[in-house]
Amino acid sequence: MPQNGGYMVAAYIAAAAILVGYAVVLARRKPGP
Amino acid sequence: MTIAQRGRWVSLVALIFLAGVYVRALVFTPEERTQGLAQKIFYVHVPAAWSAMLAMGLVGLASILFLMMKDYRYDRFAAASAEVGTAFSLVMLTTGPIWAKPVWGTWWTWDARLTLTLFLFFLFVGYQLLRGAVNETSLRARYSAVLGICGLVLLPFIHLSVYLFRTLHPMPIVLKPSAPSLPPSMLITLLSSFAVFTLLYIGFVMQVYGAAAARDAAVGGGR
Repeated sequence: MPQNGGYMVAAYIAAAAILVGYAVVLARRKPGP
Repeated sequence: MTIAQRGRWVSLVALIFLAGVYVRALVFTPEERTQGLAQKIFYVHVPAAWSAMLAMGLVGLASILFLMMKDYRYDRFAAASAEVGTAFSLVMLTTGPIWAKPVWGTWWTWDARLTLTLFLFFLFVGYQLLRGAVNETSLRARYSAVLGICGLVLLPFIHLSVYLFRTLHPMPIVLKPSAPSLPPSMLITLLSSFAVFTLLYIGFVMQVYGAAAARDAAVGGGR
């Protein structure tokens, strides 16, 4: 079996960073003009 | 409770479920024999691609409805969906090359599927640049609706590109006429991830749409 778990970990971290980061940006966004 | 506040709760619940999907994918889903652990990238890459395409599909539909009815709620929804779609296409374009490197031996290749998904990302970005560049509300809504419909037209080409062109990209595994070609344990993980990414899309759009609606109401006119 190929040993490529590092790529899997990197992809999961990258996806979580983008989605959680975007969620934080949205939560801090002010609705006012 | 406003739409944005409800969206925040939906997003929070979806992120908790996403953690559950991560645990299921990483711990409780079997390892594929030929690709090894890198195959598990598929459980975030494919649902992210689904959400990005759902986002662009709904941008296009909302754009058509706006041009037909001149109701600015559709324009606002299209703008929200495009912004959220950019985030999901970024996940798709980040996780795809990380999978491709160990499996194909290269981070990127200019084949039809990959190039078309890059176009999709550029369309999302271009859509928002266009909205930022036009100040007049009705012109901005009309111009961006036309671009949104172009995005909708791109979607079938992306999905069918693996059939239409010679490409390295794997064929559809779930969204195809025949039954899904995955063992049940992997299929449950993938379908759970699809559901969570869709919920995340809904939560994000509610927040962006709600904030835009409140802003429009504050500046007057509700357009």
